[in-house]
Amino acid sequence: MGEVFEVPIGPIHPALKEPIRLTFRVRGERIVGVEIRAGFAHRGIEFMGMRQGRNLIQVLYLAERICGICSVSHPIALTQAVERAAGIEVPPRAQYIRVIISELERIHSHLLWAGVAAHELGFDTLLHLTWRVREKVLDILEELTGNRINYAIPIFGGVRRDIAPEQYPKVWEALRYYRGLLEQLLDAFLNDPTVMARTRGVGVLEPKEAEEFCAVGPTARASGLPKDVRQDRPYLAYSDFAVKAITPEDYGLTPIGDVYDKIVVRLLEVGQSLEIIEKALEDMPEGEITSFPKIPALLAHLKKAEGEGLGWHEAPRGELIHYVQLVPGEEAPLVWKVKAPTYSNLLSWRPMFEGQEIADIPIIAACIDPCICCNDRFHIVEGSREKIVAKEELLRLSWEKTRRISGQRGLRDGGKG
Amino acid sequence: MKASQILSALSTALGEKLKNYELRPREVGVRQKWTVEEIWAEVPREAIPKAVATLKSPGPLHISVISSHDAGEAIELLYHLAVGFGTEGGEVMVTLRTKVPKTDPTIPSICGILPGAEITEREKIEFLGVEFPGIPRKDHVFLPDDLPVHPWRRDEPELGKYLHRMVEWEKDNESKES
Repeated sequence: MGEVFEVPIGPIHPALKEPIRLTFRVRGERIVGVEIRAGFAHRGIEFMGMRQGRNLIQVLYLAERICGICSVSHPIALTQAVERAAGIEVPPRAQYIRVIISELERIHSHLLWAGVAAHELGFDTLLHLTWRVREKVLDILEELTGNRINYAIPIFGGVRRDIAPEQYPKVWEALRYYRGLLEQLLDAFLNDPTVMARTRGVGVLEPKEAEEFCAVGPTARASGLPKDVRQDRPYLAYSDFAVKAITPEDYGLTPIGDVYDKIVVRLLEVGQSLEIIEKALEDMPEGEITSFPKIPALLAHLKKAEGEGLGWHEAPRGELIHYVQLVPGEEAPLVWKVKAPTYSNLLSWRPMFEGQEIADIPIIAACIDPCICCNDRFHIVEGSREKIVAKEELLRLSWEKTRRISGQRGLRDGGKG
Repeated sequence: MKASQILSALSTALGEKLKNYELRPREVGVRQKWTVEEIWAEVPREAIPKAVATLKSPGPLHISVISSHDAGEAIELLYHLAVGFGTEGGEVMVTLRTKVPKTDPTIPSICGILPGAEITEREKIEFLGVEFPGIPRKDHVFLPDDLPVHPWRRDEPELGKYLHRMVEWEKDNESKES
């Protein structure tokens, strides 16, 4: 069977960006165990929000900067938590605008992930195709909010910008564009034999494991758990859209919980988001966009507020939850707890990695769409001998595997040349 | 399962240990109105595993996170759990509030009942110095392994000294600077 070696990967980037350390125990090419160490990008944001003299509006912008990709998800959860604590109502139109922006964010996030997944497998043409089409949704977000990321749209009591009548046609045009593309993307990802060979049965998360480890988002849904906060405990205007959790069954597949299923779920969710945005645009209620148009009045109200509240949101990666406790006379929250989706999904990595090959590390690491990422370098330690391998080396192993599989199948070169 | 049923199951299992419980419904939706229910209750620390096991039996049970703060003499922990995903509007958020005294900051781990609680329990160890007897791993998740303070404690005299070094924390810095 051979000896077991330790392969520490990180604290650098097993998938996208941002550091994390995964220490693998390997026997030959097989992974027999993994330890996860996060925290290399810990910035103490909750501490900054509670203890460094910021008022709640400043905390809101801080929350927006927790993550660049989920930059509307955190404000949506935080505003709901504070609105619950301080008894603030949100006008219907503002709820719809929050829904539209967060679904646009989901589209851009899922397309970003699909591109990264293609890259990890060595399909750079698919990466560039996916990221090219992702530009359209970023353009629309820029049109509606002024920014490609960090939209600054939710504010306590509503939103900061309305959608103007002349902007509607532009959004509709983008929706039609993605409608036309979706089939093509599904075909490019799901019907390619090499993608299938590299992702089918790889990184499996059994339904029981997903439930025990409290996995969230597409990671849980790919294992067949119909778990989606928008469906399970609706918030904002989400009950208007009768959101159903998407599992591989919606594509006619029996859920296995492997990387392939995670691709299926995320791509189908792009279609689901399109539907929600279309319905939201059609049914958009008229009226105010905030119950506190004047910021000083809002700050004064928040300073007097006493109470606690929870706010949750189905971010692109899964359940996001914020808890706040407000005390009168204080501008900062007494307690602020943020729980991002990757926090819940970290433990699910363990069963996914076990029994897999070293060359599958990049795609499995990427498949939960971690908000912590990319292989810069990794060490192979064998007794006193130590070998440092760069990120490129690990990716090369992954690409070689794709090429090998393509070669065996007598296909044209699917991998990186 | 309805919030009232969950609450009565908790009350049967815990008896007088379940205190200050209430339902906090929230009205959501614009055209399709819906009431999403939340349960908030206080439980003594030793009853937490039993409460979690009671919630797990109707299941499925999800733990979102354990919120916490330094409440002077004690540390307050809030277990945010959700019962019954997979049904439209049928998941009930349950928050169990409990306190552990700073003189003995221990509370039984719930990882045996719900393995998904491991990361959030480990986070409480490093940030507040709470101990969870029975937890499978105690390693830090977010903070440096050798950071000697618990940053969310409000009575840490040394906190200020370490805060400025949070970014590039290394033991070596200490000797170089002094």
